Amino acid sequence: MISLHLIEQVIASSIYLTTPILLAGIGGLVNRQAGIVNIALEAKMLVGAFVAIVVSSATGGWFLAVISAGVAAAGVGYLFSLTITRANANMIVAGLGLNILVAGGLGFILSWNFGTSGTLRLPEIHLLPKILDDSVAAIPFVGTMLSGLDPLTLFAWATVAALPFLLANTRIGLHLRAAGNAPHVARGVGLREKLLQDMGTTFAGFYSGLAGAHLSLSSIGLFNEGITAGRGFIALAAFYFARNRPIGTAMVCLLFGFLDASQIRLQTAGLPPKLISTIPYLMVLIALCIAGWRKRERNELQ
Amino acid sequence: MPDTSSVKTGLPIQVVLEKSIGLAFPFIVAIVVSGIVLLIIGENPLDIYSLMLQEALGSGSRIAATLSAATPLLFTAVATSICFRSGVFNVGVDGAFVISGLAAATIGYGLPESVGFLILPVATLGAVVVGMSWLYVPGYLLARLQVDEVVSTLMLNFVAAGLSGFLVNAVFLSEKSGNNTTDTIPKIAEFNRLMPPSTLHSGFIIGLICLLVYAIWANRTPIGFEAKLVGLNQRFALATGISVPTTIIIVMVLSGLVSGLGGASHALGQLYKFSDGFSAGYGFTGMAVALLARNSAIGILLGAILFGALASAGTTIQLFSEIPLDLVNIIEGTVMIFAVVELGKITILRRRTST
Repeated sequence: MISLHLIEQVIASSIYLTTPILLAGIGGLVNRQAGIVNIALEAKMLVGAFVAIVVSSATGGWFLAVISAGVAAAGVGYLFSLTITRANANMIVAGLGLNILVAGGLGFILSWNFGTSGTLRLPEIHLLPKILDDSVAAIPFVGTMLSGLDPLTLFAWATVAALPFLLANTRIGLHLRAAGNAPHVARGVGLREKLLQDMGTTFAGFYSGLAGAHLSLSSIGLFNEGITAGRGFIALAAFYFARNRPIGTAMVCLLFGFLDASQIRLQTAGLPPKLISTIPYLMVLIALCIAGWRKRERNELQ
Repeated sequence: MPDTSSVKTGLPIQVVLEKSIGLAFPFIVAIVVSGIVLLIIGENPLDIYSLMLQEALGSGSRIAATLSAATPLLFTAVATSICFRSGVFNVGVDGAFVISGLAAATIGYGLPESVGFLILPVATLGAVVVGMSWLYVPGYLLARLQVDEVVSTLMLNFVAAGLSGFLVNAVFLSEKSGNNTTDTIPKIAEFNRLMPPSTLHSGFIIGLICLLVYAIWANRTPIGFEAKLVGLNQRFALATGISVPTTIIIVMVLSGLVSGLGGASHALGQLYKFSDGFSAGYGFTGMAVALLARNSAIGILLGAILFGALASAGTTIQLFSEIPLDLVNIIEGTVMIFAVVELGKITILRRRTST
């Protein structure tokens, strides 16, 4: 018997687990629209999660912690972008390299500066606040979700709502997409396509940093080397699956968040979590196959 | 990734100079970067580097440890190079390595011991078949349906991790040793150790043979040459009558073959079983080696030993000094990024055009 309470719980944890994937996915899709496939979302999330914890503990303010996480990850993203746009580095290799470098660098700082390995606990962490009053919890179905809503979740969904307009109807959105789709043409009409691509990667860095901040500051209040647990790649899978469309990406992220949330319950139903964890990746593979197969059929018809 | 350095014209000395700068440049940057890190924490980089050198190559047993750590990298670097030189961007060697390692271990302990010395070749063959089939999938998808191989192989890595993690816990779980691991293989199925007590095993020799065969295949056979042409210029390759799709599938399957051998060597020679976390990122370190070597066999040998030395020195240096092992990852990541950065090339080209 499925109780109301269970449904409420699943809705709440689905939304909560979607947020980091969604934030990173938003960054990644804008980045890809600007022509760069960002494999290093994972690294920037890790930077964000770490900075958020350190700043939150040092200053005692969640807002400053979140902004610092975003800015630090954006800085990493900008440097990463320079290696691709200015020094012609292959974006895939540079991205994989950055993932290794950042994991190594943070591990080094953790054991050298903080004397721990793997997990960092700091005193006086200020977690993300809840936006709404506790009284909303009485609303059926969405009550638990609403009472647990944090500012980053709201910000992520607000961005999703605004992004289609920003990308299709504003000057900067059109310029970014031009730099991604036809860099030579963009340059021909006087746009600085490399600068635009750098902006895209910096944007992706900022949003991944926020995603990391959500991971470390939303409930547990600590940093762990494995805190991202491949979520940067799940975000990659999401915007690949939705072919870079903001609303579609958000829906796929929501699906992945739901899978994550129901993992424990599916486990008791006999479905092993390790197999469930491969679903996002298999979905992308299947989607790419279908797209390729359709394209071939179209070509054969012509 | 198309490698055009060998078709550049110019004085031989200039070519050699360019090549060696290309090889050394990422490492110089990595040494400088890690040196700065060491200076920041108040250590003398030169002391640390000489200690690392001693720990990596200082004695017979240390050399054996280095070569042992280099063994999986030989396979993964060759597997990566086979694809990269054809412009096939296969980042899925790690997944193939893991899944074929699982195959080798399960066949190794699953066959009755009465099969005797045949267990070893059968288990190795099984791993190779699994590795080839695993990478045949993205190869076919790229050749026939134009599915981007970077994404498909990247996704397959996670599928391999999830699938093997599931299988090792649900199907092949050892009743004796608990979580996340299969039973150990019988003694007769093991690759023999070359210099006990070190873990260096005959998989290293197989890795060297693999490298040699790769060098011959790449430089002395028509198919190896055709594969390179596909990497240099697909349209030209097409015009000379080479089937690009077939070549793509062939290099992917060959890459799977070598990954499978690597997985078998690691399962049957190093661990004697399969456990979750089987590959410590060997596929990605192998990629760094392949990039650094620009797909050349000698370069792969040197690069694999270098990274093997880093790994073996890194573990012991953590014991003797207070330097965290993560320094090795910092070096590896820096090497990887700067192996594809073209700063060196840019300055050389500029100088040439100005004269």
